[in-house]
Amino acid sequence: MKPATRDFKRAASAAVGNAQVRANLDGLYQGFHHARERAAAETPDWESMRDRAREIKAHTLANLDHYLEMAERNIRAAGGNVFFASDAEAGARYVLDLARDRGVRVAIKSKSMLSEEMGLNERLTRQGVEPVETDLGEYIVQLADETPFHIIAPAIHKSREEVDTLFQEKLGTPRHEKIEEMTAEARHQLRGKFVEADMGITGANFVVAETGTVVLVTNEGNGRMCTSMPRIHVAIMGMERVVPSIEDMGTFLRLLIRSATGQRISSYVTTVTGPRADDAEDGPDEFHLVVVDNGRSRLLADPELREALYCIRCGACLNACPVYRTVGGHAYGWVYPGPIGAIVSPVLTDLRDARDLPYASTLCGNCREVCPVRIDIPRMLLHLRKELTVGETRSAPLSERLAMKLWRFAVGNPLTMRAANVLGRISLAPLRRGGRVPSLPGPLSGWTRYRDFPTVAARPFRARWKKSR
Amino acid sequence: MEEIAMTGRDAFFATLREALGRAPGDGPPDDTALLPDASVLDERAAAILEDCRTRSAELLAALEQSAERAGCVVRRVESLAEAGEYAAAIAVEHGANSVVRTAHTVLDEIGLPGALERRDIELFGPDAADADGAGPGRAGRQALREKTLDATVGVTGVDYAVAETGSAVIVARPGIARLASLLPPVHVAVVKSGQVLPGLDELFALRRRDMLRSPGRDYVNVISGPSRSADIEYTLVTGVHGPGEVHMVLVQ
Repeated sequence: MKPATRDFKRAASAAVGNAQVRANLDGLYQGFHHARERAAAETPDWESMRDRAREIKAHTLANLDHYLEMAERNIRAAGGNVFFASDAEAGARYVLDLARDRGVRVAIKSKSMLSEEMGLNERLTRQGVEPVETDLGEYIVQLADETPFHIIAPAIHKSREEVDTLFQEKLGTPRHEKIEEMTAEARHQLRGKFVEADMGITGANFVVAETGTVVLVTNEGNGRMCTSMPRIHVAIMGMERVVPSIEDMGTFLRLLIRSATGQRISSYVTTVTGPRADDAEDGPDEFHLVVVDNGRSRLLADPELREALYCIRCGACLNACPVYRTVGGHAYGWVYPGPIGAIVSPVLTDLRDARDLPYASTLCGNCREVCPVRIDIPRMLLHLRKELTVGETRSAPLSERLAMKLWRFAVGNPLTMRAANVLGRISLAPLRRGGRVPSLPGPLSGWTRYRDFPTVAARPFRARWKKSR
Repeated sequence: MEEIAMTGRDAFFATLREALGRAPGDGPPDDTALLPDASVLDERAAAILEDCRTRSAELLAALEQSAERAGCVVRRVESLAEAGEYAAAIAVEHGANSVVRTAHTVLDEIGLPGALERRDIELFGPDAADADGAGPGRAGRQALREKTLDATVGVTGVDYAVAETGSAVIVARPGIARLASLLPPVHVAVVKSGQVLPGLDELFALRRRDMLRSPGRDYVNVISGPSRSADIEYTLVTGVHGPGEVHMVLVQ
């Protein structure tokens, strides 16, 4: 996928102006974020489980070469093939060559972010293979010729009316009002594709080294379909997805699923080791695993950034982020949105082009609070900001430096602080509308273009503090 | 393709080893440094299974709650025969012409074949893929798949159930087809007392023991309630690609 990370500000502005998108984004907080909180609270030992997962991730990444070789060995022993791709291009080429060699016409796909990195759908189409996304959200996004808006809810920016119109246009289906009817329509359409397909392409939530097992987490059953119906199964994984033992799955499945949707477990967890057993009634003849680096080794090599690879792609940091919940997933301009995307996308693509992303954060720390593997996202965002300024000789503009000096003077001692308070209250008084200042005049107007300015409290904190003591 | 695979592989691992700061000749440590202790697995597995037997009533009650929470229709029955009658009644309720089953022996113990025969509903299983007794060839597998696509109900046993999550665990193998619990719109899973594990940790300890004992091809589904999606406006819809209705029959 071609990065559009330079467009962050423009794309963010567009999203902020779209009321439908804003309303749907609010739902992320009301829905997923609160569900995650409840699920975490009812899980015994949640906090120590997070520590354990973090330790396992640190250990696995420090030995990543050994674990990947172990996974390869065990997959080959089970009759599967493993291909290691240094970049997205090489990984895609393996899948395309395989499809050509085996005469594949239809490839069904189960949700994979890596597939977006590889631009797999576009490449397959160009080669005359029909790729069909089968996760309902991904299917909608594919029909609309868009990219996923959210890691686990790809089409959450669309209203039911938009989905219905899309189905009418692209599938020629009759008008539907109920979401149940639209889903039934998708089931019907995709059932035909599942029957037709020669190849199933899935991601891999985890790959277990000790047994060579791919673990898939789905709710709709698309992962099961893609690994049961076609004669070829290709799983694609970012190289950091490996874990040592299937015994680690209790910890990781709880953390992943409960952080993602708040469910205790998803409808389906599927573990796949190799192709169909010789005398089994169903399942694929062939199994292939494609392991992709595509810039991940840069994260791995940098001690400041390595922990970005601990990410298990639950999406909790997106739901918790005030910036993501305002600008949505498309503004980030590449495959991975939100706080973790603001680290991963610049490093996997181009930091200079993506320079707005590390700044697309208030550094409030919510992402770190909710991260099931305690990734210190704010620290890494600051690190990238620092990287971006290395070699810059130009200091901040004079006006900014003056403003900062003035600020330091004003808050530097109680007397000037009190004076600034009074001055602020008086000067903002004529601009107040309710409890906020919706727009500032002159050169300060940029500040209030997308947000209100707070008013100065009628009673300063100092006064309240003094009284409460 | 093999040749390309090898050169690509070398480049991949060269970059990876450099990122990890490996010195030339740094070999992998012993497997024991990389993997949890496997020598205690047999003992651990025996203890888990013993625990499941002694606490079977308690675990069955916990499963009843968690499976309902996961969206299953849970039915507790007192006898094996009642389970068979219940499964057959579900088929009638859905106007089923045919029902697909797996080779799990519990389905014979509950008298499923007789219960469906009395109601004139066709029951078929893995035999449908093995017309000539020589194992499931391509044509046989295709025939079974066609029939399964038309079946209204899939009835299966389970290998384990999980009280923590309300899950039915099915290990696919010859006789236990993947599609029987996936393609029909209704899935009935029959769980026997004593099959219920407390949680995911116990499940994966047992799975690890089994997988290390007989390494190689393996395919398992942990099924927890119906197929579902909330991808459009967060609205929960069931029956997307898999069954929209899952019944869990608990046999005391």
